[in-house]
Amino acid sequence: MLQIRNASVRFPAADGSTVHALDHVSLDIPPSSIVVALGASGCGKSTLLNSIAGFLPLTEGSITLDGVEIKQPGGDRGVVFQKDTLLPWANVIDNVALGLKYQGVPKSERYESARKLLRLVDLTEFADKPPYELSGGMRQRVGIARALATDPKILLMDEPFGALDSLTRETMQQLLASLWARTEKQIFFITHSIEEALILGTEIVVMSPRPGRIIARYSADFVRQFAETGDIGPIMSDPRFIELREAIRDLIHRPDTRGFGGLQ
Amino acid sequence: MTIAADHRTDIPAEAAKNSRRRLPATERGTLGISVATFSVLAALWLVATKYHWVSSLFFPSPDEVVRQFVDVATFGYADGSLLDHVLSSLGRLFAALLIGVGLGIPVGLAMGINRWARGVFSVPIDLYWGLPPLAYLPLLIIWLGIGETSKIVLLTLSTFAPICFSAQAGVRSVPPERVNAALSLGANRAQIFTSIILPSALPEILTGLRIAIGAGLSTLVAAELIAARSGIGYMIMSAANFLAIDVVFVGLIVIAVLAFTFAFLMRLLERRLVPWKGKL
Repeated sequence: MLQIRNASVRFPAADGSTVHALDHVSLDIPPSSIVVALGASGCGKSTLLNSIAGFLPLTEGSITLDGVEIKQPGGDRGVVFQKDTLLPWANVIDNVALGLKYQGVPKSERYESARKLLRLVDLTEFADKPPYELSGGMRQRVGIARALATDPKILLMDEPFGALDSLTRETMQQLLASLWARTEKQIFFITHSIEEALILGTEIVVMSPRPGRIIARYSADFVRQFAETGDIGPIMSDPRFIELREAIRDLIHRPDTRGFGGLQ
Repeated sequence: MTIAADHRTDIPAEAAKNSRRRLPATERGTLGISVATFSVLAALWLVATKYHWVSSLFFPSPDEVVRQFVDVATFGYADGSLLDHVLSSLGRLFAALLIGVGLGIPVGLAMGINRWARGVFSVPIDLYWGLPPLAYLPLLIIWLGIGETSKIVLLTLSTFAPICFSAQAGVRSVPPERVNAALSLGANRAQIFTSIILPSALPEILTGLRIAIGAGLSTLVAAELIAARSGIGYMIMSAANFLAIDVVFVGLIVIAVLAFTFAFLMRLLERRLVPWKGKL
């Protein structure tokens, strides 16, 4: 269980004023849930993820993972970035096995685990290729496999499919849903797409910018159906899906969203 | 799962796009043009000397230079064979490069990582780096004598700075997300350095090495022109004193070949060590 309590991040802006990137955010990410943070750019969702990852210290409040306070980056939180951060000098399997290498796992063992993960993301035949010979979607799958290799408690995903074309993105969403259904790993996922949030999230938190805070929370369960059928069409035309989508769209586009600080 | 669809939609589309794309003019080869230009220049040289458009005292004909090359290579010139001169020049250059790389890379990396190292080392380096090396050669000769030491120190100074600067720039060019990714995979500080920072900085370091070789070679020849008893620069200077223009030409050609060989070897080294450069 990841618990965020009253988390605030403030830093001075160039003009001397203070930027409230994150303003008293409280959020729980329970085991086997996918919590999606949804919002326009600048709403603090990346700040929140960077704080969970340990890249950015909180000004106020606390984040704990299974009761242990997060102070710095660590292998118990796997991160998938929007821009892939694979090492260009290492081939795909070495990239996936990188975290295990850091742990000192012997080569044959870490290759064995890496091969399993490559099978999971359907990249077995690309194990010996350098990452720059792969397409964007494939590189992102390597990134997911790499984050999973050390078996982290939680997976943090920062708009991982944002830079992909729409066909590849759908395939990736499907892959993530089925991975989650199999592993039940807790996931914190960031996106600015309402559809993506609804399809993948078991809980969706809508965030508003300046100050970055959570303005609404929704529960959804389309991801199980998506993982089972792999078909996005019927879900998108589900009346409950449409209703939620329109509610969130209204909320985001309403000019006075700041007044909804306590909306549940 | 229908992940396999990803390969079908992704890869061939990408490959087709690449093969259909016409290369822009800047990426098409210039080998043909270069060979033609070289031929025209060589022909011009041949004609100009054959019909005495220029005095052979100042501008020897190509066949004279070739004859002289064979002559110098077999019988030597200025107290040594051509090979002796080349080897003593290369010996100085390699000794200096070895020290320059051995000191420049660690100092540069330290400057890239550590604020204190940057503050301390940048002062003396900035102070001497702006000076033309030949300006302080007399000083080095007074301090260290006219032997090999002063020349190797001079060359070391001129190769150290570019390597040091490039190593520092290499560290600063490491994408912060790459470091963050490694940290969240559980890397410790030493692992970040060896597995992320060092390889990320390698392309820049090799660029620095290339610049250092260029700087070293020009400083080397200049230093040999002024104060040496052997080396290609010394051979050229001795020949010039006797107006042996053809021998001067032989020296220049040898230097050109050396420079070209170094550039070629550096390209080879880059292709071997950093094939990913500019790709990701």
